[in-house]
Amino acid sequence: MVVGVTVLIVDDHPTFRRFARRLLEQAGFAVVGEADDCASGIAAARALHPEAVLLDILLPDGSGLDVAATLAERYQATAVVLTSSRSADDLGVALHEAPARGFIPKERFSSEAFAALVGEA
Amino acid sequence: MNRVRTELRSRSPIWWVAAFAGVAIFALDLVGHLTQPNIQDTGVWIFLDTKLAALIAAGLWIWGWRVRLIGLLLFGWAIAVLAGDLMNVYPDSRSVATFGLLVYWTGANIFFLHMAFAYPTGRLGRHWPTRLLLIGFVYVGSVITVIPWLLFQDGRGCADCRPRATSYFFVGHSVSWLDDWNLFWVYWSWVALAPVFVWLIWRRFRMTSKGGRRTVWPFLTAFSLAFADLVIWSIDGGFGSGGSLDPYLTYGDISTAWLVVLGAVSGVLVTRRARGVVGNLVVELGRAAPGGVRDALARAIGDPTLELALWVPQKHGWVDEEGNEVELPTGDDRTVTLVGEKLAAIIHDPVLLDQPSLLEAAGSAARFALENERLQVELRAQLAELRESRARIVWAGDEERRRLERDLHDGAQQRLLGLGMALQLLEPHLDKDAGPLLEETETELQQALAELRELARGIHPAVLTDQGLAAALKTLAQRSPVPVELYACSGRLPAPVETAAYFVVSEALTNIVKYARAEHAWVNVTRNNGLVRIDVRDDGIGGANPTAGSGLSGLADRIGALDGQLEIESPAGAGTHVAAEIPCAR
Repeated sequence: MVVGVTVLIVDDHPTFRRFARRLLEQAGFAVVGEADDCASGIAAARALHPEAVLLDILLPDGSGLDVAATLAERYQATAVVLTSSRSADDLGVALHEAPARGFIPKERFSSEAFAALVGEA
Repeated sequence: MNRVRTELRSRSPIWWVAAFAGVAIFALDLVGHLTQPNIQDTGVWIFLDTKLAALIAAGLWIWGWRVRLIGLLLFGWAIAVLAGDLMNVYPDSRSVATFGLLVYWTGANIFFLHMAFAYPTGRLGRHWPTRLLLIGFVYVGSVITVIPWLLFQDGRGCADCRPRATSYFFVGHSVSWLDDWNLFWVYWSWVALAPVFVWLIWRRFRMTSKGGRRTVWPFLTAFSLAFADLVIWSIDGGFGSGGSLDPYLTYGDISTAWLVVLGAVSGVLVTRRARGVVGNLVVELGRAAPGGVRDALARAIGDPTLELALWVPQKHGWVDEEGNEVELPTGDDRTVTLVGEKLAAIIHDPVLLDQPSLLEAAGSAARFALENERLQVELRAQLAELRESRARIVWAGDEERRRLERDLHDGAQQRLLGLGMALQLLEPHLDKDAGPLLEETETELQQALAELRELARGIHPAVLTDQGLAAALKTLAQRSPVPVELYACSGRLPAPVETAAYFVVSEALTNIVKYARAEHAWVNVTRNNGLVRIDVRDDGIGGANPTAGSGLSGLADRIGALDGQLEIESPAGAGTHVAAEIPCAR
């Protein structure tokens, strides 16, 4: 079950964060924090210890893939789900090698898809 | 003097008259010696006459040839000395006495010294002590000396006197002070002024540059020896043993005169060689490649350090042959000679100023070549400017595309994504009847997002900016309906090169899918020796016309802006090969 699973959303678009939070909360997740770039994302993860992170790949100060690598190294238990408004094709091979549970294109984003990847563990 | 020089063009009628007169007077002297062998020691007169013949010949040769004034002076000197000798041969002739006194006593000194100071150009220069001495003492002094001789000299009844006959200007009686007068002007003055002459000649040599010294040293050395002989003769005749050294001095006089002839001729030959080189310059310029004018000039003028500056009116400044801006030097170590009205400047060793006519001639000979060179430089500058501006335009266009892609991504795409999520949030609150409509709306939304993404990707592929050419080509290959075998070197390239290479592959693959009916395509991107090479091949039907579609010709422009080249080979039935090469410094 997803009820009560703590989630951190890292994305630079406020619209997406707002709707994603609502969708996830509607499904029972507990969104404990939001961050809008790599640096604040890593800081929030350290402070909040979320069980899951919804991580955008194209961030203003770097790549979400690097953030994913950092999180995977420091907090092995955290489930990282990558997302982007670009398709997997456009993101290239690096995406497949990233240490994450999976990737959801933003236009296909739903709490079910997110829950499925988080619940895989 | 200039007028004289102009009138005495080589082999002018005056030259012919002078040559005839010179030969005639020489013949008269020779006949005199031959018919009266007892007048002078045979050895002496033969030496003397050979010297005179050499002087006359050298004078006429130099005069008739180019350095007219020097030739004229040398010739004049020979005639004056010859006139002196005539008085030895025909001591009793009044005509010879008049001619000999007049010409020998004036001409010998005037021609001899003028020549020494004007050698080798024929110009005296601006040094006023030289002019004062030459005009004040030599010219005026010589004329003053000769007048009493013409009026009062009477050697009749004196066996050793030369001449014995009186001149036509003889007034009827001699004067007692004539010997003192003679002593003063002929002996004293020479001795007194000898150091001044030596200093002036030395100064002239010192002021002459290295290149010029090569030309003048044989003549000035010979002149100095001849002058020393003259001074010793003056000292000996005026105060010493009263002519006891005469035999030695005569031989000294003859040998130094020979040296003067050789010196003058050698100097003129050096100048002649220089002039010959100007002739060669004209020939060489005809063959010179663009940018070869400097080398041709440097060779012709004999200054390997020579530099060339060309005036470019648009830049309002001087540039070198490469088109780089240069400043004309102002110091003493380099000299600038201008060609034409602000056409070109020859920057050279100041030594060459001794040969102004050579520089002038070389400049004139090179004029058309220089004009041509300047046009080339201007053209090159404009071309470089054009190329830069073309590259800037392409770069600006790429920047604009990147910005547009980013705007679409950050703006419209995010709004549509938000809309999609809002619909998801809305779903639980709607009636069951609204279900199909909601689904339809969601499908429509997905379609809009897909189209928008396709549009953004066409404007500028984000993966290219984010991850580089190899990654971008990989996604391109993955999406292609025709299987693509891709090899692309890793590592980032300058953004304009990556963009151009990406669009070459993208356009070529699009064409393959649309027209080639190919089963396979191969893409190769390699980097070698500062050159990125892109090859796209297929096994399709070939026969593509590169001029037909604007896609490939637009690409050729884009690659041209980067100084690259695009080639398309598409023989019917043998597939198509698109090859591009782009210089890449990094």
